[in-house]
Amino acid sequence: MTPGPPSNRGRAVLLCALLLAACQEALPTAESDDLVRSGVAIEVTMPARDFLDRVRVYGGYGRPAELGGGFIAHRYGGGAAGEEAGLEAATLLRFGRYPLFATVTDTAGTARPDSSLTFLSGRIVARFDTLGSVHEGPVTIRAHALAEPWDGLSASWRHAIDTVQHQVAWSAPGGGELRELGEVVWDPAAGDSVSIPVDSAQIAAWSDTTDLARGVRLAAGTPGVRLQVVTSLLRLRTLPSLNPDTIIQVLATTENTTFIFDPLPPPPAAGMRVGGVPAWRSVLDLDIPATLTGPPSLCAELACPVEITPDHLSYAGLRLTTRVPHPAFAPSDTISIDVRSVMVPAILPKSPLGESLTGVAGVVLAPEWFAPPGGHIVEVPVTGLVRDLLGDPGEGADPVSSTVALLSSFEPLSLEYASFVGLGETGAVAGEPELRLILNFSRGGS
Amino acid sequence: MRGRGGVGAVLLASLGLLSPAGGAAAQSFLGFRALGVPVEVGNGRQAGLGGVAIGLPGAFVSPTDPAAAARLLLPTVTASMQPSWGDFEFGDQGGTTRTTRFPLIAIGYPAYGRGVVTLSLAGHMERRWSGVRNRLVTLGDADVSVEDRFETDGGTSVARVGWSQPLGDLLSLGFSAGRYVGRLNQRFDRTLDSTYVGPDVRPYREDSQWSYSGYTFAAGFGFDPHELIHIGGAAEFSTALAENPGDETTGPESRYDVPPRFLAGASGRLTQRLLLAASAVYQDWSGAGGFPDGVLSGRNLGWGAGIEWRMVEREVRSIPLRIGYRRGAPPFRFEARDPLESAFSVGLGINFVEIEGQPLGWADIGLERVRRDSLPLAESFWRATVSLGISSS
Repeated sequence: MTPGPPSNRGRAVLLCALLLAACQEALPTAESDDLVRSGVAIEVTMPARDFLDRVRVYGGYGRPAELGGGFIAHRYGGGAAGEEAGLEAATLLRFGRYPLFATVTDTAGTARPDSSLTFLSGRIVARFDTLGSVHEGPVTIRAHALAEPWDGLSASWRHAIDTVQHQVAWSAPGGGELRELGEVVWDPAAGDSVSIPVDSAQIAAWSDTTDLARGVRLAAGTPGVRLQVVTSLLRLRTLPSLNPDTIIQVLATTENTTFIFDPLPPPPAAGMRVGGVPAWRSVLDLDIPATLTGPPSLCAELACPVEITPDHLSYAGLRLTTRVPHPAFAPSDTISIDVRSVMVPAILPKSPLGESLTGVAGVVLAPEWFAPPGGHIVEVPVTGLVRDLLGDPGEGADPVSSTVALLSSFEPLSLEYASFVGLGETGAVAGEPELRLILNFSRGGS
Repeated sequence: MRGRGGVGAVLLASLGLLSPAGGAAAQSFLGFRALGVPVEVGNGRQAGLGGVAIGLPGAFVSPTDPAAAARLLLPTVTASMQPSWGDFEFGDQGGTTRTTRFPLIAIGYPAYGRGVVTLSLAGHMERRWSGVRNRLVTLGDADVSVEDRFETDGGTSVARVGWSQPLGDLLSLGFSAGRYVGRLNQRFDRTLDSTYVGPDVRPYREDSQWSYSGYTFAAGFGFDPHELIHIGGAAEFSTALAENPGDETTGPESRYDVPPRFLAGASGRLTQRLLLAASAVYQDWSGAGGFPDGVLSGRNLGWGAGIEWRMVEREVRSIPLRIGYRRGAPPFRFEARDPLESAFSVGLGINFVEIEGQPLGWADIGLERVRRDSLPLAESFWRATVSLGISSS
């Protein structure tokens, strides 16, 4: 079978394709002042009174159990003169059901499941975040067994159970009655983990999963430290029935990991707070003007008042000035913050929030910015938000909320929080928020 | 009729892709402060003959020769495509240009044997170029580098309706009325250096649109004083060309005077296979109102000439070869010097079906090497004009 001539339709398609292929464009392009008349670019920094109506701070978002790790602190950030007791924090752990079987190599050398295990003893292995922890050398770590029923999600320094409808206080703040399991010294120079042995009697006691009092409390004995616990495990020494001459190690599941601490940071008397656990949010009511009557440099280039539209706005950044937070909660590692629209400001603090305006990474803040004396300026990009506020949402579209929340990128993110200068109650104060705008105006071309 | 089907497909494609403001020749910096550069509207035959605009023998539809369609026997459709590619230089800069446009589609329809109705859409002026400038702007206390880009794309076309009327065997007259149409899109882009401003910086863009309106009227004649000679002439008068801002564009309306244009041309058959043709175009823009000072050229006369040799001539088919040269006078300067345009051209035609010297299906290609000078700007480029036509009852 020989191929026949292309049909008329085929020719037409071919010709159309050739014609389209011939339509590639390359505009003559040259660099010349004559061809491009100048545009005007202006940077405007608005003081708070020109764009910010109100600042509110809300707390209580999330709880320590959601952090996935824990903190250990002892008299941390109390001040050199000892005028404050400082931060006390302990990590609480509850281990779950022990493994029902393990794969064991029997005396004949065959790997087989063994469901008849004898748990001899164990050890608690805790690993610390060496960058997120604050210490000045070896730290004494103390482990205690809890003896009072407690809730792994809501336990706090004062309450073993602290839900909305049910509160049970510890017999003594900080975990109630305790039974010492052991004490070890963690030397950061030697590694990032400690191992605390647990005897067979305690292992046997923890095997009763109906006992709501079972648990471990890890605390620090060295004053002036704050350690971040990344993981904590219970390793069990086990004697298998298939090979009684061998001891194997198995892991117990970790049912709850949380931490309790004291004192809770009080709401800020002034300024803004972002982060912490439970997390703090700062809510800002914006009122972006649609026209500008200054600064003089703007009016010198363009006739004031100047109307600004979304198209004119190339960049908007919310400039915040850092404050020194309470030393117990001062950042020791980078933290990232985010900006989101408050969708229904009327139901704050429970309003749903919009999408992140800063992306997944957020705005990363260095811990040294919050070290005394503070005063570092942080710029949070809000170009998209300000453009939306300046624009017309269009018929049928939802209006853009002018209320935004500053919050940590993930809630809760850390025990530490960021503090910024807020609005002055009676007048402008140094370091108040500012809005930096970069505006462009075209003078067209030839 | 497989062959005709293919030609029809090409015509259909040409119709679909026709750019109302199109003209490959027009992609230029010339006239960037005015209306741009004129679009060469001719078909492939005219391009190969040195751009002869009027005075060619035969019956065909031409926006520059209102009387040329007077002796059409059958409804006729013709369309042209113009790819061009070349380069430019001014100062120490240079670059390339490349584009393809469809500058002409025309239809002639004999009406009851008394005359011919003509319809055409043809390019008139085009402004297609972009400029870039890198500079520093002061933001706050810092100098920030920005790149500004200004791009302009568009131009004007003329939609014409006309009537061509034969008067006896020797004379024919033609009239047309047209409306200027077209649009101009301009875009200003500014990109700020994100290393200073921040990664969230958005490029600034401002789009503006302009539309054109106005009217043009033309009258012309064709005359055969001898069976081997054909002469033609035409005059074209236009109202002011209005440039109006679009709905979302702020700016004043502008009005540009379009001076009268006069065309004259003649052709003579030297031998049975050899044709000599020449034409001239006069249009004096120097006094036109509405333009910035120093933009208008003092030159007002353009001319072109060419020779056509029927390399193959059969009973119903012929293949002509063409060669030509022309000099044009674009109306707008680049800077202070009057522009000059010149082009050498060669061409090839295939008349698929020809009855009594009148082609019923044809394809022409004209290839020109064009050079424009308006110091310090110099542009040179190749341009091919491919036109297809078909006459069918």
